[in-house]
Amino acid sequence: MVIQTSRFGSVNLKPEDILTFAEGLLGFTDLREFVLLDDPNDEIFAWLQSCESPAIAFPVLEPELFTENFKINLTKTDLVSLKLQSQDKARFSKNIQQIPDDPTLMTANMKAPVVVNIDARIARQCVLQQWLGNSGTNFCKASATGGSKSDRRDKESSPGFRCCYQIAPAA
Amino acid sequence: MLVLTRKLGESIAIDDHIKIRIIRIKGKQVRLGIEAPKDTKIHREEVYLAIQDQNQQSATVTSDKIPLCCSPIKAINLT
Repeated sequence: MVIQTSRFGSVNLKPEDILTFAEGLLGFTDLREFVLLDDPNDEIFAWLQSCESPAIAFPVLEPELFTENFKINLTKTDLVSLKLQSQDKARFSKNIQQIPDDPTLMTANMKAPVVVNIDARIARQCVLQQWLGNSGTNFCKASATGGSKSDRRDKESSPGFRCCYQIAPAA
Repeated sequence: MLVLTRKLGESIAIDDHIKIRIIRIKGKQVRLGIEAPKDTKIHREEVYLAIQDQNQQSATVTSDKIPLCCSPIKAINLT
């Protein structure tokens, strides 16, 4: 199938690449189907693109890239709604809140990551109960001052999550 | 919306396991005590509204901004 996107033109998809958000995203509760697209210019960012609304897409990052000790605890409700037996089979990404003109001021939403059940292709934005700082965290500053090292996630090691599709040029 | 009036010290029970009690009233502020199972999510409503806001801002980011973000992030990884 082909979806239209405002940023990347037409994109070819297989139905099994679609992630279903049973409750949508906060503020976008009527959008249920999304797909993860790799950014063509970059290895780190991906886009959570709506299959239903071409203009809606969220830049996302994997938290392990910039947070050394990324430990969150999903509640039973979260796990049930994701049809997960345990947290181990989940994958997390974060929304980037904003990328202003100074890119070092970009912020990520640490309070409400998107959690994906890769096997079932379902996902949810889970508001974390534990306090992880502000929901818009400038991770560039935090990492620089904290001096934490993160291993770059090898792109090949999680093919089911990171790389859904190379974005095909507009037809 | 169910609207109930409570006095200081009185409680409201929700389902079998959630209780909300009025702990203190001082001027315009009400302090609430909430007993709930560990798994229950409890947030000030502003948290949800803030996340909604952030999602909405995030959805306006255009793809041309992404290349600018690479070097700051790579700088973090290399240190």
